[in-house]
Amino acid sequence: MTKLVIQRNDNTSSWYDTFHIKEKKGMTVLDALFHIQEKVDGSLCFRYSCRGAVCGSCAMLINRVPRLACKTQISTIKKEIINESNSNDVLLKNKEMDEFKEEILIEPLPLPNSNIIKDLVVDLEPFFDLVYSIKPWIDEGRHDNTDPNTLIEPAMHEKIDQFTNCILCSLCHSICPAFKHDEQYMGPATLAKAWRYYLDPRNDQESKNGLLNTINTENGVWGCDVVYKCVGICPKKVPPTKGILNLRDVIKK
Amino acid sequence: MIQHDIIIIGGGLSGLRAALEAQRSGKSVAIISKVYPIRSHSGAAQGGINAAIGSDDSWEKHAFDTIKGSDYLADQDAVQVLCKDAPDTINELDTLGCNFSRDSNGNLAQRPFGGAAYPRTCYAGDRTGHNILHTLYEQVMRYGIKIYSEWLVTKLVIEDGQCVGCIAMNLLDSELEIFQSKVTIMATGGYGRIYARSTNALINTGFGISLAYHAGAELKDMEFVQFHPTTLWDTNILITEGARGEGGYLLNSENKRFMEKYAKDSMELAPRDIVARAIQQEINEGHGFEGDYVYLDLTHLGKDVINKKLPGIREISRNFADIDPIENPIPVQPGQHYSMGGICCDVNGKTKVPGLYAVGECACISVHGANRLGGNSLLETVVFGKRAGIDAAKFVDENTFSPTEQKLVEVLNDVKNDIQDIMDMDIDSSGSGSGSSSSNNESFAHLKDEVRSLMQEHVGIFRNEKGLKVALSKILELKEKSIRLNVVNMSKQYNLELVNTIELKGMIDLAHVITLSALSRTESRGSHYRTDHNKRDDNEWLKHTLVTKDEHGAPTIDYKNAVILDVMPETREY
Ligand SMILES: Cc1cc2nc3c(=O)[nH]c(=O)nc-3n(C[C@H](O)[C@H](O)[C@H](O)COP(=O)(O)OP(=O)(O)OC[C@H]3O[C@@H](n4cnc5c(N)ncnc54)[C@H](O)[C@@H]3O)c2cc1C
Ligand code: FES
Repeated sequence: MTKLVIQRNDNTSSWYDTFHIKEKKGMTVLDALFHIQEKVDGSLCFRYSCRGAVCGSCAMLINRVPRLACKTQISTIKKEIINESNSNDVLLKNKEMDEFKEEILIEPLPLPNSNIIKDLVVDLEPFFDLVYSIKPWIDEGRHDNTDPNTLIEPAMHEKIDQFTNCILCSLCHSICPAFKHDEQYMGPATLAKAWRYYLDPRNDQESKNGLLNTINTENGVWGCDVVYKCVGICPKKVPPTKGILNLRDVIKK
Repeated sequence: MIQHDIIIIGGGLSGLRAALEAQRSGKSVAIISKVYPIRSHSGAAQGGINAAIGSDDSWEKHAFDTIKGSDYLADQDAVQVLCKDAPDTINELDTLGCNFSRDSNGNLAQRPFGGAAYPRTCYAGDRTGHNILHTLYEQVMRYGIKIYSEWLVTKLVIEDGQCVGCIAMNLLDSELEIFQSKVTIMATGGYGRIYARSTNALINTGFGISLAYHAGAELKDMEFVQFHPTTLWDTNILITEGARGEGGYLLNSENKRFMEKYAKDSMELAPRDIVARAIQQEINEGHGFEGDYVYLDLTHLGKDVINKKLPGIREISRNFADIDPIENPIPVQPGQHYSMGGICCDVNGKTKVPGLYAVGECACISVHGANRLGGNSLLETVVFGKRAGIDAAKFVDENTFSPTEQKLVEVLNDVKNDIQDIMDMDIDSSGSGSGSSSSNNESFAHLKDEVRSLMQEHVGIFRNEKGLKVALSKILELKEKSIRLNVVNMSKQYNLELVNTIELKGMIDLAHVITLSALSRTESRGSHYRTDHNKRDDNEWLKHTLVTKDEHGAPTIDYKNAVILDVMPETREY
């Protein structure tokens, strides 16, 4: 049996419930949550959609580490040791240990400027608002559509690809320490998108300049602490810090 | 009451594309979606999107492959629209910033896909759907289109035969709201989760299709359900056809490339229905591995090809099966993948019900017929999404019908009562009324599992009269039981138990329609394979199945001939 301790929330209070479940081979945390919701307590709330780590719905704190529930196997967590003194950090020492941590703690993802709605469901509107506030898109009206097929070197495609892989799960937003000293910080996901559209040869210079202006601020690229927490936590291997440093270089030039 | 000219239900590719076009026409447009649009199932599409842009390719060849792939049930006029519009559609997405993969000259790269005589599938790594979805959503943000995220539409409102809006529930607080519109566009996706094994997102219940059915629309060709040959064992996460396109082998437990027995020319790249049946037959005949799977072997492709062209597949195999395809073959089994059938509509998305449109996987424009080719459904979402958006705007201008508020309020009250019934416990029969659900009430989880395994077993890859009849009678029992569906959770915020219960009723209705359609079609065509009628019968069955709800609420079947223009039916060999 595996013990899951889940933080429950409603609009008035917050508490922890304990559930015991029988672990199946290959069971993910999301599977376990479904098991509880369908068989034990129908009131348990959490977001999900794809169950394949591509949609970004199921971000939560699992043993105090932000992760996707559908991508996290129960067996993996049991093998982890969490370094208690640094419990807010991503310290996943995946060494096989005899000592299993039997208890799995599940809590809603803490996000800056955001409230918990119910159980593990948090308000993502502030996060999405930030991301789209920098206008991450191509203003297609600005250039001539009769010549659509911009040639793009495969190498450039790959550079952009690193950043388009972002699924906006908000894990990086949750772990980024820069919010501690600036609540208005744009955050890694937003800035990664800025770099993606700055790079894109289909984007026109005027839009690119606008983009640079928007993020060339203390709460933009200059707010980053350059500690690579976002890079470490990203389930899609997007490197926001790299994008931020590149943007700083462009601005300095 | 909330009012918009055009309301689009669904924030996947088809919904977003329709919304963009409708907005460009200057109308007031809104999208209602039960998940944030970027969480939609479209984001999971891996392999690519078809368009004849190669110098020795042509839309005619694309159309021919599509029609042959459809086992000649596709409407050829609709296929022509799809294939002619394809190159422009891709260019448009490219212009909007979609990060398609490139060849060494910087042009759009194309890969071979099953059932296509030419490598005409454009792709963005193996994350094509994700890339298009985010690109379109960014454009939707750019236009400032109003989005109602995490709202479930629970009923369409019909007044004097015309669709005048819908009732939706805000998941945040479970409050119901009236949405009045001149046009409602259904873009609610497929019904994969009616099956026990499916590659679809968990949210793909097909509930939207059942809403249209109850509103008087026809459901077309629902018996045609595509099974993808290669889904990861147990979790049924898709392993894209691209993996075979890049040269992957299918191996049975005797280490044989068994496809030479079933399609000796195209081997692993034969169309999906053929490969899925081949794998299932190998498993059924004892040539699979224990646990019902065969191997998809990529090891000979080498590290570079796998890392460059199939990075998502490598990631999925490692995360969800603990297997690195560079070193070991991937265990795969067939699983439900795509819904060819859906809400019957024309090439502009118009259904039989004025004011009601449908587009994308929930629709049946008959471009896929009895079997869809890989890469054609992403194409369908954008091509017909655009057309539906344009036509909907026209309808708004030409439409003179002025709806009354009364009807909308009436339907709102009906929905309120339905929900109250689900929430109210049957206290009498439990005797005590002590809080927990009484034995006379049914829970969604239990009934849902029953529908899914029933469909998987009897209405799956291989079908026959006996099994279909068993399924039908069990579905009727489930319908009876579903009247007593009841939730324990009384919470107002994010009551997922309530959402699931509401949707389950629609799933059972669809299961009924699918099974009935499958039982009536006494031939084998495309994905519909009857072991008791294993030949295609063009004399009798070159026609579409149409199901509508009669005045007693029961499904009735009608038929309509398929549109044949210049491609004559032949034996389908690969
Ligand atoms: C794993 C996988 C891989 C695929 N790969 C490819 C590929 O490579 N190439 C290809 O051509 N096709 C592919 N397909 C098929 C293709 O992805 C789908 O057919 C297509 O994305 C469907 O898009 P859609 O917009 O119609 O629906 P979806 O993307 O499913 O969107 C449905 C929307 O409707 C909303 N919704 C549903 N019901 C309600 C309701 N009642 N109230 C409010 N909102 C509602 C949902 O929130 C969602 O936003 C793949 C499919 C799968 C399963
Ligand atoms: S459910 Fe989609 S990322 Fe987990």
